[in-house]
Amino acid sequence: MAGNPLFGSRIRELREAKLQEDPRRFTLRQFAVAVGISPTFLSKVERGEFDPPAADKIIKMAELLGVNADELLALANKVDPELEKIIKEQPQALPDLLRTVRGMSAEELRKLTERARKEQKD
Amino acid sequence: MAKVRFLKHDQIENAALCLLAEYGRKYGAVSEPPVPVEEILSAHLGLTLDFDDLPTRLGTPDVLGATWIADKLVIIDQSLDPIENPCKEGRYRFTLSHEIGHWELHRHGFLAAAAQPSLFGSRPEPSIVCRTSSRKEPMEWQADMFSGYLLMPTEMVLAAWRQRFGNLDPYIAKDEMANLSAKWGLADDERPTVDVAKDLARVFKVSGQAMQIRLIGLGLIRTEVPAPSLFKG
Repeated sequence: MAGNPLFGSRIRELREAKLQEDPRRFTLRQFAVAVGISPTFLSKVERGEFDPPAADKIIKMAELLGVNADELLALANKVDPELEKIIKEQPQALPDLLRTVRGMSAEELRKLTERARKEQKD
Repeated sequence: MAKVRFLKHDQIENAALCLLAEYGRKYGAVSEPPVPVEEILSAHLGLTLDFDDLPTRLGTPDVLGATWIADKLVIIDQSLDPIENPCKEGRYRFTLSHEIGHWELHRHGFLAAAAQPSLFGSRPEPSIVCRTSSRKEPMEWQADMFSGYLLMPTEMVLAAWRQRFGNLDPYIAKDEMANLSAKWGLADDERPTVDVAKDLARVFKVSGQAMQIRLIGLGLIRTEVPAPSLFKG
């Protein structure tokens, strides 16, 4: 287990902030149980000694902590498993789009996403 | 090692009850068992809780808990993880509460030592290592006593007893203990846990043995032979 200290310390930071608001749901044990992992495993993940859990557990963590799942998945170097399903819905157009936008900056991608959202609304 | 000052039993009990009251003022009164020791340690005291393989980490056998005072860190041995080992729930909570006892009763001595860099500094070793074989040291039995008072406050135990029996009359456990000892072939100095202690232990989420010691200490379970008690020095 190589571990991921960046991911671990972010989870601990978020969980400890929530702990002050709601001590009954965000102790090491209660949070681990809600995510579906053991407290020992969570402890070692938070210390950066163990790798992050599977993507579905990370998404559950994000939901409980009230943060964007993509942020935590990116820290964990994982991809939302739902993306595969989305790509399969348009198996030619979507891979083509991804290849086309590959290499664009984060800011350019953000603008593109905004435009796409706007067009969908219209 | 910090010097341990003498503490009377009622001073230790008061320390445990004050802590429970402080937690209650902040997060809502705790009027029924089980006492939320994880929340007290993490949310109220702001200590970090971790699990690890302590004997390997510290190179010391039979370690169940350790506290790093300056780092506000408590590590419990992973063999007590209550989700992986549900049968260790009582032992886990007692160990956690025992480490809270060290924090409440003994931290000042260690923090004073920490002010002298040559004595403390940022050493990776814990301030306090709690081994099952060192239970008779004054600091350890003070923390044990604190743990018993925090997990099983007198008023809560009396209320639970009254709820079960309708009064506070003691249970004379002599015959039940003799029968159990005969059934299991126990030695004369071994004391089996009687049913009422086991039942209340489930309510307080402690071990049957810890519950029985507390009930004997409160005079609610009576035996002919004095028990080796956590509550008597």
